[in-house]
Amino acid sequence: MSIKEKIGKERLFFDGAMGTLLQKNGLKPGELPEKWNVTQEDIIYNIHKSYIDAGCNILKTNTFGANSLKFSSDEFSVEKIVSKGVQIAKRAAEESESQAYVALDMGPTGKLLKPYGELPFETAYDLYKEQIIAGSKAGADIVLIETMGDTYEIKAAVLAAKENCSLPVIVTMIFDEKGKLLTGADIKTAVFMLEGLGVDGIGFNCGFGPQQMLKIMPELKKYSSTPIVINPNAGLPDCVNGVTEFNVTPEIFANNMLKIAKEGAHIIGGCCGTTPEHLKKAIEICRDVPISPVNVKSFTAVTSYSKTAVIGEKPLIIGERINPTGKKKLKAAIVAEDMGYIFSEAISQADAGAHILDVNVGLPEIDEPQMMCKTVEGLQSITNLPLQIDTSDTVAMEKALRLYNGKAMINSVNGKQESMEAVFPLAKKYGGVVVCLTLDENGIPATAEGRIKIAEKIIDTAKKYGIDKKDLIIDTLSMTVSTGADNAKITLEALTYVRNTLGVNTVLGVSNISFGLPKRDSINSAFYTLAMGKGLSAGIINPKSESMMNAYYSFCALNGFDENFETYIGKSTQGETVVKTETTDLKTAVIKGLKDSASDGAKELLKNTEPLTIINEYLIPALDIVGQGFEKGTIFLPQLLMSADAAKAAFDEIKAHLKASGQTQKKKGKIVIATVKGDIHDIGKNIVKVLLENYGFEVIDLGKDVEPDLIVETAKRENVKLVGLSALMTTTVANMEITIKQLRKDYPVCKIMVGGAVMTKDYAERIGADFYSKDAMGSVRYAEKILCV
Amino acid sequence: MNIDTKEVLRYLGYCGRGADDKTLQLIDSVKIEILMSVQPKSIYREFGLKYISDNVISVGGVQFKSSKLRSHLRNSDRILLFAATLGLESDTLVRRYQNIDSARAAVMQAALAAAVESFCDDVCGDIAREEQLKGYYLRPRFSPGYGDMALESQREFFSLLDCTKRIGLTLSDSCLMIPTKSVSAFIGLTKDEECNFNSCVDCENGNCEFRRET
Repeated sequence: MSIKEKIGKERLFFDGAMGTLLQKNGLKPGELPEKWNVTQEDIIYNIHKSYIDAGCNILKTNTFGANSLKFSSDEFSVEKIVSKGVQIAKRAAEESESQAYVALDMGPTGKLLKPYGELPFETAYDLYKEQIIAGSKAGADIVLIETMGDTYEIKAAVLAAKENCSLPVIVTMIFDEKGKLLTGADIKTAVFMLEGLGVDGIGFNCGFGPQQMLKIMPELKKYSSTPIVINPNAGLPDCVNGVTEFNVTPEIFANNMLKIAKEGAHIIGGCCGTTPEHLKKAIEICRDVPISPVNVKSFTAVTSYSKTAVIGEKPLIIGERINPTGKKKLKAAIVAEDMGYIFSEAISQADAGAHILDVNVGLPEIDEPQMMCKTVEGLQSITNLPLQIDTSDTVAMEKALRLYNGKAMINSVNGKQESMEAVFPLAKKYGGVVVCLTLDENGIPATAEGRIKIAEKIIDTAKKYGIDKKDLIIDTLSMTVSTGADNAKITLEALTYVRNTLGVNTVLGVSNISFGLPKRDSINSAFYTLAMGKGLSAGIINPKSESMMNAYYSFCALNGFDENFETYIGKSTQGETVVKTETTDLKTAVIKGLKDSASDGAKELLKNTEPLTIINEYLIPALDIVGQGFEKGTIFLPQLLMSADAAKAAFDEIKAHLKASGQTQKKKGKIVIATVKGDIHDIGKNIVKVLLENYGFEVIDLGKDVEPDLIVETAKRENVKLVGLSALMTTTVANMEITIKQLRKDYPVCKIMVGGAVMTKDYAERIGADFYSKDAMGSVRYAEKILCV
Repeated sequence: MNIDTKEVLRYLGYCGRGADDKTLQLIDSVKIEILMSVQPKSIYREFGLKYISDNVISVGGVQFKSSKLRSHLRNSDRILLFAATLGLESDTLVRRYQNIDSARAAVMQAALAAAVESFCDDVCGDIAREEQLKGYYLRPRFSPGYGDMALESQREFFSLLDCTKRIGLTLSDSCLMIPTKSVSAFIGLTKDEECNFNSCVDCENGNCEFRRET
């Protein structure tokens, strides 16, 4: 039997700690333990050998942090450290009486991945790939990805393993006492994502001793359909006189490991603080515990990086608003790559109660794969709702699924051979729940039977790709009733059969039902209720529609999904106390920072006032009053920004009005702004941007951590007369100086203004800036001086 | 963890002046959102301390150069390395609003800054109570990058204290911490009973607009 087959069927034992034993052998704090593969080979070998003698049959190589962020010299290259590490372990394994295996050990990179941190996903992938190629070439039997705290990094490591070797992959993670990973995922979220990626073992290591792990094991068992691996520490670390110690004795460790084995772990071993003695004792008493069968669960689930949506229990809401079909404003935002608008659609749907967000950015005039990736990455940096990747472009689909942090919903496949051949391999590789449209080469069947047949065909074909029906969700297609009186009946008949007889979850794009009819909300909400009654698992709807949400909350209350009617009552009483608009006078609204009133006020004025008059006689004077108050110290930052946001709402109305009449708003001039290289603080820069835009300047925002080259290039290309640079730290002001020097050399015609927490007027002069702006209003005044003459 | 409205206003530049009701409401709503979504974590560990010279100390065998840190420790004979973070979600909160509600984003930023300090004070308060039983008192926190201490010493700091694995705190190439709402600090332990937490008054940057005068 190969090792891959043995996992989950045969009792296997990982070894114990490496690091803590190396410290006992003289490894100094801060010294890289992996170096010892080259410099202290004998010590490493002896540790491995002592674990073999204790009865362990999987050795973890001493390669935990052996990536090129830490090892880049010739003397200590990743290739050398990793292959040496595998070879030493192999030598010890081969001396074992029974068969022993070598697991290529990989830990976290130590960096946070984008968009949360600075390491691009593909760079993380490359770091792991390098280790995997070296490790598998040197003869490792298993890839062990351990001590992981971030689902995104795990995904990079698993993909690197899957794409660059054929070894079984085991992932063990470090959860806290609440059962959460460092980046927020709970146990079920991690399990669903990992099973989507097709790993061979899932479990816990480090952080806790066996007792604490035992407490969170039931949760893992409840959701996992994969063999379970548990490698605890010898208790919780305790700091005694400056030395970290682990205080669980081999006897206590062994007794607890016995409980863990009985609870259902398939492979057990140790982490920090465990010794050959711990493992020896544990193996002695666990060896003969019968191995529990791996129970396959039937959850249909999608996840984000921290949250799971289980489909098939209470009906779920998939927010439909991020889809340009029939939405002019969104279309314009997608073309302009205006992420702010897209984000606001996401947040408002999340606030309205959506459980999953559909993401469709398909427009003929854009590069869809690029925009899809940008949108998915952006949305995952601002919301923790799972996403539905909605595209007919398979390149966009693959790129987005690869980049997605979690297990996505995939929209969609249909009964056409071509579609299934394109989509199922992606779903198998990256994981996901696939929306299956019941149409095929012959179009959409006019009968329920026809749609059911296609559903059955899709389910069978998915199986051939190794995709279980729990990872499918069937769309029996709602067709507008305005073209056929039976349309709703057919859809619901097919839906009932799919859910109840085929036992597969269902989804509908609910609002299609009313296309072409007046008062669409009435029909939509009635149909929605009917569909939920027949077994609709998830409806793609507009969660901002009151009637749809009323239908949803009422249905949930009536069907026992809403204990004590809590949600229903909560939602029904909400909003009643809202005081309607305090004023519609635009100037007052902006001064007071009332967004809705400002937007209403602008709309009202636009009926009989020229846009330019509104800007010059209402908006700018109002902003000036607030701005002067800010400069005098009678108004503070939050009020200044509330006014800015209110003005922005009014500008948006004006923009929409101009666009409708085919005009564009005249800008005062272009400004490039950026937070300099090395600096990740951008709140100040963003505030400057909001205010400059308020005052009618066109702002090209290059973001944070921006290379000097990019700033110079953009300034030149856009022919701007003013560049604004921000830096928060003394250390990054050095990069500001470099950027200024480069601008002076390559593009001397532009003025440069700077700002940031450590900046002063003197400092700004010393590094060669033209202007030091002490706050956001200062930059507006300077821009007016430079660009409005 | 308690987010003090006065502290939030101080970070927003109010310099002791009061705020209007709308701002206070915004602060309250932001506070609730923060308390509901962040998962603060901390770690500390004691290391062997040796004084090498006027401006060099050795912590767990690793040398740190800073005369300010040296004098800040006064006559501490023990040292802790301490780190705390509000976690990834805290950065997400700011990002969520900065494109759509800049007032909320700015208040969020200030409230998170107040929150992380308050969280550090809570944890350090617990340590202080424990140490007091052994007759030790905590010196105020001193972070890499303060005074004459190079920010680059974060690298050595992180090599000693397992911040990444234990609390998910990472270091960028330019030695800034991610998640950004985080603190790393040296804490001296001394047998001299003396006042703690006077970080602003002790600071030499008298022009700082966020300075607290008490």
